[in-house]
Amino acid sequence: MELYREGSRDAFEELFSRHHRRVIQFCYRMTGDRARAEEAAQEVFLRIARAAFTYRATAKFTTWMFTIARRTTLNFLRDEKETGEKVPLRNGPWGEDTPGSLQVEGPAELDPERMAWSAQLGEKFVEALQRLPETYRTAFVLNRGDGLSYEEVAAVLGITVQAVKSRIFRAKEMLLGEISAVLR
Amino acid sequence: MDCGEAKELLSACLDGEASPKDSRRVEEHLAGCAGCKAVERRMRALDVGIARTETDVSPDFRDRLFSRMEAEELLPKRRSLFAFSFRWAALPLAAAAALGLFFLMSREAPRGPAAPGLAPQVAVIPPETLQFAVNRPGAAPSSPAPVPESPARTARETRPPEGTAVADRGELAAEEREIVAYLEILEDPSSFEEPGEIDEMEMFLPEGGKQG
Repeated sequence: MELYREGSRDAFEELFSRHHRRVIQFCYRMTGDRARAEEAAQEVFLRIARAAFTYRATAKFTTWMFTIARRTTLNFLRDEKETGEKVPLRNGPWGEDTPGSLQVEGPAELDPERMAWSAQLGEKFVEALQRLPETYRTAFVLNRGDGLSYEEVAAVLGITVQAVKSRIFRAKEMLLGEISAVLR
Repeated sequence: MDCGEAKELLSACLDGEASPKDSRRVEEHLAGCAGCKAVERRMRALDVGIARTETDVSPDFRDRLFSRMEAEELLPKRRSLFAFSFRWAALPLAAAAALGLFFLMSREAPRGPAAPGLAPQVAVIPPETLQFAVNRPGAAPSSPAPVPESPARTARETRPPEGTAVADRGELAAEEREIVAYLEILEDPSSFEEPGEIDEMEMFLPEGGKQG
């Protein structure tokens, strides 16, 4: 980022080549649509470039990048919700971080090997992700999808590590239920 | 440890975020709880599921983004190799062009009197000397002339270099012709170096000993 701020095109190209796949995958898992994901990812990189002068080297770049990616995606989804194009955000029956049943349901056929060979699994899984509350979905996607640690997820979301741990567990709990529904 | 606590810790264990102590506690619980063991298996399946959500990236994604960034002046445009080369070649090209122009103008410029600034640098040779040189060998000069420092040189000066137009020399005054002659030598030093028709030592020979 330092080099890019000094006017280096190569620096931005290097940054782009390192991170664009992760950003696109994050946007896809958050929006559930490939075209929307790319549109959102383009906006993420534009915002990164516009905000380059606000970046401080004290923060980890990926944390900063995913903070922008999350906000951008949320704005994107809200705009779509207002225009009625898509309604991916919904408040699940669990609310946010509310204590609930820790029952983990799921079909017996959720076998890793069978799932891996399922051609439609990816799309079904993304579909199930869209049914999660955004706060749970983001925490789960950042950790399990993009490989951020709980601490990094906490930094992106601005919450405690314990809250991240709880959200991810609830996301898994809900997701197993949703997967059961979409695979049925 | 009850099943509720075990499941939440199990989630953290599978994510690699539980402490060693908590991991041991979960393992102990799973060893004696078939229900939580089944949950573990399903949670692992979620990792397989999310790994299947990788999507392809459009081939033009990068170009579209970079075009937008360039339009917003967020990305410096890459200089082409030609532009880079031309920039570095500009100085030598300009120098070559100036040199070429100088030679072109010096060849086509009318041969008038020398520039005022140049005149003091050109030695003026008396007309008599020129006459002496032109008439040699063969006819003797009509009047005695002082011996020049270098009669042979002045003799050569009277011979125009090949390809040099001197048709208008007759319209010039004698002094001007001297100057023109010197200028021609300066422009074409090779004519100065050519062996002349007159031997420099010849003028010192006695009249009868001169060689043809």
